[in-house]
Amino acid sequence: MRDVYIVGAGMTQFGKHLERSLRDLGREACLLALKDAGIRPKDVEAGYCGNALAPAIQGETGVGQNVFWEVGISGIPIVNMENACASGSTALREGWMAVAGGFYDVVMVIGVEKAVMPKGTMLNVGAGELETKLGEVFPGYFATIAQKHMERFGTTRGQMAQVSVKNHIHGALNPYAQFQKKFTVEEVLNSPMIADPLTLFSCCPNSDGAAALILCSKEKANKANSRAIRLAASVLATGTYDNQRDITNWEVEIRAAQQAYKMASLGPEDLDVVEVHDAFTICEILHYEGLGLCPLGEGGRLIDEKATELGGRIPVNPSGGLLSKGHPVGASGVAQVVEIVWHLRGEAGERQVQGARVGLADMMGGNKEGDTRACTVHILVKE
Amino acid sequence: MPDSAKNIPNTTIGSAVPVQEGLFNYPLADGERPALKGNRCIQCGKSFFPKRTVCPECFVSGQMEEIELERQGVIYASTVVRVSSPTGIKAPYAYGYVDLPSNQLRVFALFTGADPGSFVPGRKVELVLEAISKDREGNTVIGYKFKPVAG
Repeated sequence: MRDVYIVGAGMTQFGKHLERSLRDLGREACLLALKDAGIRPKDVEAGYCGNALAPAIQGETGVGQNVFWEVGISGIPIVNMENACASGSTALREGWMAVAGGFYDVVMVIGVEKAVMPKGTMLNVGAGELETKLGEVFPGYFATIAQKHMERFGTTRGQMAQVSVKNHIHGALNPYAQFQKKFTVEEVLNSPMIADPLTLFSCCPNSDGAAALILCSKEKANKANSRAIRLAASVLATGTYDNQRDITNWEVEIRAAQQAYKMASLGPEDLDVVEVHDAFTICEILHYEGLGLCPLGEGGRLIDEKATELGGRIPVNPSGGLLSKGHPVGASGVAQVVEIVWHLRGEAGERQVQGARVGLADMMGGNKEGDTRACTVHILVKE
Repeated sequence: MPDSAKNIPNTTIGSAVPVQEGLFNYPLADGERPALKGNRCIQCGKSFFPKRTVCPECFVSGQMEEIELERQGVIYASTVVRVSSPTGIKAPYAYGYVDLPSNQLRVFALFTGADPGSFVPGRKVELVLEAISKDREGNTVIGYKFKPVAG
């Protein structure tokens, strides 16, 4: 297997882009990544596009071919990937495999989504699942996880709210974030209840946006630019749907993280900066534990210790996370890695984690039988 | 008449259709009590709900037998949803996971018949069949729910 490097990274601002199309958003991200890498569209040998909802919301399929053609890329293999929230990070893994396996020297990965819905409507995804037909909604599943985590480990509503407070403080420093507004713990707790114990400001928004990366082999990276970041591990795992499992952790995440650490010959103690899938506040607490940033059950304590704030021992979601940066579903997994690339290069502006050399991005996608369908873990290293 | 049958709405307009085929008998025969139908692998004994065609452990076809799940269970986890569902359930409504210990199964279910906030983990509940929504054709969709065990 060959070493794989990221030489180009770009993204649109996340938020409401009501007047812009998927192609328009995708084009912006692709052009930024190409320019950043200093390569031409005709140098790209394969393209991977993550998108989750366009068939359901816009009635559009083949988004990858549409977006890549916007920047003059055609004729090459182009693949559309759907893995719910992990669609973009799954596309990244496909690109990584192609370069690592020696099939191509330069590939492009894009995640793009328009998920902002007209007011008063809800996403109708997973409509074929029994739980959805019975009346399950996304926040409710995570609410049951929060209830059990509180019951088993004594995690508090205040600790969960603090995740949202922290990520909004970070997001206010990020010009790409959807929300530039800070909240207090009280404001998070007193916002409208969505599914006990999760309030409105404990849930990420639906967003529009796109993010793109250019991956290449070591030889090409040396030629492209001097700011290449090595993609040291790329893992995709699927849940086991164990019917009676303890829902206070995701076995699939623990397994994926261990595989990634082994692949990179690194451990959680080596990480300088982390981006996780904080679709709901409780998720970030479970991710601390699943990634080994703290022992199982101590995620609430980690947030109390301020370890995961900018300036703390291990900053998590310096971008603002999904809660503040926004969540254009298929783009989020790529945008997390764009953020890590910027930190490792020292280009993250006001929210820069000083001296960061190793970063990790963790994404989860979709629920099935009370478990997670897809979990990706990527580890990036500045050499 | 079984107590739970009182929860089934009078369906003179449109017809009543089960949310998914094979989960439970509907309509019930005279005197029949509502029950969830799962199946079990006769090789390894593992139970499934909804039914599976093949056991994912043993993967031998023709080895599955239908079973009736126990009607009473214990709440494992729950929440109260404060926004109406895309399927038309008016907020607030409660749902969660119910453990059926003798079947070694946990099922997702809506809760009914008491204050939504009262369905806390550990509470004993029993199965009922009830209307859950209307489909596009105006039919009443019948699902399964759990209500508090009397007494």
